[in-house]
Amino acid sequence: MIEVLGYLTLGLVAGSLAATLGIGGGVIYVPALVTFFAFTQHTAQGTSLAIIVPTTIVAAVGHARARRILPRLAVALGAAGILGAIAGARVALIADEQVLRRMFAVVLVVVAVRMALRTRQLYRSRTLDGGTDPSGA
Amino acid sequence: MEIPWPKALVIGIVAGFLSGLLGIGGGVIIVPLLVLWLRVDQFQATATSVATISVTASAALITFGVGDSVEWGVAAIVFIGGATGAWFGAKYLDHIPEWALAGGFTVVIAIASVRMFL
Repeated sequence: MIEVLGYLTLGLVAGSLAATLGIGGGVIYVPALVTFFAFTQHTAQGTSLAIIVPTTIVAAVGHARARRILPRLAVALGAAGILGAIAGARVALIADEQVLRRMFAVVLVVVAVRMALRTRQLYRSRTLDGGTDPSGA
Repeated sequence: MEIPWPKALVIGIVAGFLSGLLGIGGGVIIVPLLVLWLRVDQFQATATSVATISVTASAALITFGVGDSVEWGVAAIVFIGGATGAWFGAKYLDHIPEWALAGGFTVVIAIASVRMFL
């Protein structure tokens, strides 16, 4: 029973973040399933995908109703994405996963810095919209 | 908006490649590339990314799901919570300021980068 509540809570938290931040939620599901529910890495990844598919469909329907999706861009990304996924899955079979993960981690750090700068820029323009900026920046 | 096809295809291939390679959804790379490279606003980037992931994750799941690497019962229970969160998240997204979305996203990828490195 407690396990069921744990699963529901995990879904609620990750589903909310997925819909508001535009991610699948795998970065939350996989470590949570491994750490709190004793899943193996492989089963956690498979189960994570099985959750992501219907959850992102629900989020996409909600976003579509609010007319936020750029449909032609989504089609281009999705079509290219399927091809990329097939290639990625093949490379995964022959490559050193640890090395790949670390390379991607470095890329993510660069992306995080750029997004942090973007956040600051957006925050400042918000302050300007509101009138005077008390910090004087 | 006018679709910059070459850039869109590059982003799609990169995101799909990482998805197949590392078992992630790809949103951690789609959203920042749409925002920083294509100059899409954070709200449209969020929505378009989620729509894309539902397609690419389906392709990845077909590869995974045929084996016995999916706990379907657990997935169903987590989905009940996930669908609820996703529905309200999408419904009330407009009430969240753009800087807060960008900031929340920054925190998530910062955590993800540390986890992937270890």
